[in-house]
Amino acid sequence: MARYLRLYAAFLRFSFSRAFEFRFDFYFRVAMDVIFYAVSLGFFHVLYRHTSNLGGWTEAQAYIFVSGFLMVDAIHMTFFSNNQWWLPIFINRGDLDYHLTRPVSSLFMLSLREFAANSFLNLVLAAGLMAWAIGRYPEPLGAGRIALFATLLVAGAVLRYLVRMCFIIPVFWLHSNNGLNEINWSLDELSDRPHQIFYGATRLALLTVLPFGVIVSVPAHALFGAAPWTSALHVAAVVVGYFVVVVAWWQMGLRAYSSASS
Amino acid sequence: MIRAMRQHLIRPRLFWQVLSVETRKLMAYRFDFWATTVVSFAVNLGIAYALWRAIFDASGQEEIGGFDFVAMMRYYVTVLIVRRLVRVHERQRGLSADIYEGTLTRYRLYPTPYLPMKYAEHLGGLLPAVVQVVVLIAAVLLVAPGDVVARALAALTPGALVMGLGAIAVANLLSYLLIVPIQGIAFWADNVWALDTMMRFLASFFGGILVPLALFPDAARAVVQWLPFAYLYDLPVRAVTGQLGWSEWALGMLAGSGWCVALALIGSWVWHRGDRIYTGVGI
Repeated sequence: MARYLRLYAAFLRFSFSRAFEFRFDFYFRVAMDVIFYAVSLGFFHVLYRHTSNLGGWTEAQAYIFVSGFLMVDAIHMTFFSNNQWWLPIFINRGDLDYHLTRPVSSLFMLSLREFAANSFLNLVLAAGLMAWAIGRYPEPLGAGRIALFATLLVAGAVLRYLVRMCFIIPVFWLHSNNGLNEINWSLDELSDRPHQIFYGATRLALLTVLPFGVIVSVPAHALFGAAPWTSALHVAAVVVGYFVVVVAWWQMGLRAYSSASS
Repeated sequence: MIRAMRQHLIRPRLFWQVLSVETRKLMAYRFDFWATTVVSFAVNLGIAYALWRAIFDASGQEEIGGFDFVAMMRYYVTVLIVRRLVRVHERQRGLSADIYEGTLTRYRLYPTPYLPMKYAEHLGGLLPAVVQVVVLIAAVLLVAPGDVVARALAALTPGALVMGLGAIAVANLLSYLLIVPIQGIAFWADNVWALDTMMRFLASFFGGILVPLALFPDAARAVVQWLPFAYLYDLPVRAVTGQLGWSEWALGMLAGSGWCVALALIGSWVWHRGDRIYTGVGI
């Protein structure tokens, strides 16, 4: 464990020094995320001009939900996004060889080696936005519930990474995942809406096998709903289930992998 | 003068050849080609359906911002189809990739201007998009209830069709010209994908993909009309759905074309400046 922490500290150092070398990219990414945050808030602001309730949530609750998915997005962009962008390229180019020979888990190494320092600033902004949304909430939410919500959002970000891996791992067999990538990005939009607006089989799927509703909406439900621990157990069960599937599938992928580099 | 103008023009035959090569290239990746569009269309429409069903049910209103529920769904079907025809490539990074990878050098040797050639490639994505749009429309007509289809078809008069096609043509050109200056920043910056993504966010919101512009507050709508994004999606959708008179359409076309001219000048200036500092190795 200590070795993995030391390794991660080294990843952080490299990532920060690289981010400051490419300053334009640093500023562009900050600006991009600020625009994304403004558009997301603006979208819900326009909707609530025409209704006082969406999926059972008031405008104040919806803003906390929005700040939740911005937080999950910022965590994903900071810790996982760059790594998941490069992963299919590494597999196709045969660059995986360098990581398979190292005495650490290849999945750990390839998922976390690049820390996006430029997105880290956006993580701070998203946290500020969440503090604002919680601060303007008209009723007291309670420190315990807020802490649970924050914890479940971190779990939601991990789940988002795991779901995304399910669309990347097939590259071991397909050699191109452009189509799957696009499908994943399209489906990911489902996590930006409250799961209560969906009904029947769609809602069931969003809370289980295609868990886009579990990433942010269920954690927000834990904050506002009557049974927060049921929601917490729900998130934990889906995260653990997906983790087991992804690790097993990754191992299968490695067995199917044949280097292209030598 | 004529010689100077010729330097910026591409021969029609070459333009057509580049366009057809790009079309065939896109059609070659069939799974990506269909999966991307069909899933994106279905997911976006499904979200819009669930979202607006919830809003209409919660508010108890029959009409919101001039739309009843059926009109709202017709709006989203139309805007998603128009988006496919306007932004033919989902991620348009060809220009900056040519700068980063040095392939721009090759084009500098060709006896034809670079940006019009790239526009031919951009248009090459249009024919596959039209094929997809025809299939999507057929699917919607099969799935939607008969009275809804009848209402949609009643609005699609020959005049609306002509106005819609004209507005889509201007929007397609505008979509290309919007990315040219942004991609040109690649001459100075190490990565411009964030700028391209930022532009997509702005176009989605201020163009009316996420929510119709008619639902914006009046003050916001007054500002949005001055931005180019409204001419990408909102104008073509209103034209196709029969919400525009000829004079309003003509004014919109004038404003959209004005943006095209302004962006062409800005793009040309950026590329001219960038070209001076460009260094590439090999061809």
